[in-house]
Amino acid sequence: MNQTNIADKQKNRFLKSIARRTTIELEKLRQIPESPPALNYFYDAMESVFVRNEPERFLNPDSTKKKMIGVYCMMVPEELIDAAGAVSVRLCAGCFESSQIGEDRIPKDVCPLVKSAMGFTIQKGLAAVDLCDVVIIPTTCDAKRKLGEELSAFKNVWMIEVPHIKDAEFSRRIWIDQLYGLKSKIEKYAGNGRAKTKTSSRYLGAAIKKTAVAQWELRQLLSIRQSKSPVIWGRQAVVVENAYAYTRTEDWAENLAQLNIQLAEKVKNNNAVCSENCPRIFIAGSPVIFPNTKIQSLVEEMGGILVADESCAGDRYLYDPIGNPENSLAGQMTGIASRYLAPCICPAFTPNDDRLFMIKRMVADFAADGVLYHVLKGCVIYDFELHRVEKILNRAKIPVLRIETDYNPEDVEQLRTRIEAFIEMLKSQKKKKRSDSLCQPIS
Amino acid sequence: MNLSRLRWTVSSVAFAVLLFGAYLGLYFGDFLPTFSCRYADTRSGTCFMMTIQRTIQMLLGTIGGFARKDMMIFLKQLLYFSLLVMLIGRAWCGWICPLGFFQDVLYWIGRKLRIGYVRFSKTIRNRLVWIKWGFMFVALLIPLWVAFPVFFPHVALNLRMPFCQLCPGKYILPLLVGNPDRIAVNYESTTHLVMSLLGLSFSVLVVLGAVIKNRFWCRFCPLGLILSWFRKISFFKLMKDDEKCTRCEICYNICPMDIHEVFESRGRKDVTFPECHLCLKCIQNCPETDALKAVYLGMPIYRSSSKRFFKNSGTSTAGDFRALKKIGIGHEH
Ligand code: SF4
Ligand code: SF4
Ligand code: SF4
Repeated sequence: MNQTNIADKQKNRFLKSIARRTTIELEKLRQIPESPPALNYFYDAMESVFVRNEPERFLNPDSTKKKMIGVYCMMVPEELIDAAGAVSVRLCAGCFESSQIGEDRIPKDVCPLVKSAMGFTIQKGLAAVDLCDVVIIPTTCDAKRKLGEELSAFKNVWMIEVPHIKDAEFSRRIWIDQLYGLKSKIEKYAGNGRAKTKTSSRYLGAAIKKTAVAQWELRQLLSIRQSKSPVIWGRQAVVVENAYAYTRTEDWAENLAQLNIQLAEKVKNNNAVCSENCPRIFIAGSPVIFPNTKIQSLVEEMGGILVADESCAGDRYLYDPIGNPENSLAGQMTGIASRYLAPCICPAFTPNDDRLFMIKRMVADFAADGVLYHVLKGCVIYDFELHRVEKILNRAKIPVLRIETDYNPEDVEQLRTRIEAFIEMLKSQKKKKRSDSLCQPIS
Repeated sequence: MNLSRLRWTVSSVAFAVLLFGAYLGLYFGDFLPTFSCRYADTRSGTCFMMTIQRTIQMLLGTIGGFARKDMMIFLKQLLYFSLLVMLIGRAWCGWICPLGFFQDVLYWIGRKLRIGYVRFSKTIRNRLVWIKWGFMFVALLIPLWVAFPVFFPHVALNLRMPFCQLCPGKYILPLLVGNPDRIAVNYESTTHLVMSLLGLSFSVLVVLGAVIKNRFWCRFCPLGLILSWFRKISFFKLMKDDEKCTRCEICYNICPMDIHEVFESRGRKDVTFPECHLCLKCIQNCPETDALKAVYLGMPIYRSSSKRFFKNSGTSTAGDFRALKKIGIGHEH
């Protein structure tokens, strides 16, 4: 009796502090003046997950409840889950409170994303996590790999082996074999163990198409963000993209379509959120995941604008589409296998020159003035590639600032000083380039 | 008109003209860089493979004697052939070849019947490359033996037009224009019997293969091999921009010839690989704007586009999407 009471109290305290933090973050976002109203859908989705603790309102709204399957990283083909009639929830976590709890079980030196995911599983309470009895974890970095083992004490964990040398023929073989295996596992689970719930190519095709709609809208958003005068703050766009994890694809896409229309309107009316002279920042490195909004908020509070990132929960999450070579299940599976391996530039892969090409391309496309290289403490693989990224960016004369941090708000002021200095430097550089008016962010 | 429709139109017209042109009194010559088979009576031009074999035999004195005149004729034919190939490279294969078209139709039927399909991995493809060299060998060296029948002379003398006797075109194309006599086994002599049986079985294999494998024969075609030697000097090229390519593999998955080099390539602009038919499917399906381009004499004539990709998947409007929702996708089971 007493025991459960303590546990309940602990749980409530945990949920409350997450709710408090999320509310503050969302309030800050909602208070940005002249925000397009379509953004509210994405804020509401976050609110329903972290504040109201009712994730099903956005994820699983139908009266007949579908099964929910948790996924980590961006290599799990969510189309397979959708086609089988289940719901996927991306559980990569960005929450400080849960990362502290995670430390009870896994090493302190592990990155906060993994600690946070661990924490959410140990400390029950957050429905989005609790509703998933099954989680799928790809073996990307060391931490994710071992996370799977630890989570298996609490959940049904399905690991999928991600071959780390993408280009090799054997990788392609291992990968597609596993996806077939995963597919039948999902079918069995989603169909409550009934054997006869084969995903037909019709359903898979529809799921692919559904994602493609979302991807098209995402690409629209990206091209809007490429425009010379920014019409949306980067910290808003990050939430939009992060929210994909907690919403239904179709609703997400529809609301993003609305947002894009409203943003296009702003472009037409020359209704920029900040002057063209604001330094345009590209965030490279470890993923930024809600409610951890530290970096992007600092960048924009200090007078920069975040134009794009390469985060696997952000601009890159949905970018690559699935080609559908033949109108058959085999063709679709081939397309899916390619999409989730070949263009992915997670630093878990080696060699990973593709990432350099991608950063170079994005920095040019989004006309970034500077790159903030975000390293989550303990995320060794992103840090490893810093040197190479710096080298290609130096060649393009783009300054780089490496920031190492975690989800702890403690170091905000210290980071602020560094980011401010960086942005000031970019500003004067920009001014030198064209000596007109000063940068004045509206907010 | 989208590219696939254009390709189907061009190749079906080419099929009709090349195989039935005689009805219109058309005749282009004996130097066509494509399988316009000489055993199809109503053709309007003849495959260069035939000319090569015949000329070698003529030069070596097996058919008639050597004459300067014949040499001149051959050189002229070679020149015309080369010019034609330079003009559009292996687009002859992708857009014009009647046997290629026939295979496309078979493959299309396979898709409609929802018969599975086969993909050749890198390893298999690298091995299969040698088969066309085998055919090439047959076409060039056996005529030598026919000319100097030092051993098995009775076999050698029956081996005129050795490649033609094996070529699936010889059996399939005449049949398509209504000369069924070619598909009979030739009992004239043991050599003929063996060769025609081999040729017939190749043909059956090619027909069956084409249903499950895109352009099955083309990876073994010796004429295609000759055409590929011209790719550096041909006017028609496939180009890739490394900066734009995400290496997403879509072009590999879509390529009828399983060419993996295009997506893999880094650091070269020209990605017209020897087996490339310039069908341009990869450009049509590449999701990255301007990553792939078809270039004619240095001028881009067709480029990849993100918009086209998403439009092709029928997804570029939210309206389509609502339609999808109505079907209730993913809600059944
Ligand atoms: S490779 Fe195919 S398309 Fe080209 S000539 Fe040979 S049969 Fe025709
Ligand atoms: S389809 Fe386009 S982007 Fe993808 S690998 Fe091929 S060329 Fe590159
Ligand atoms: S590489 Fe492209 S143009 Fe060449 S055969 Fe393959 S799909 Fe066709």
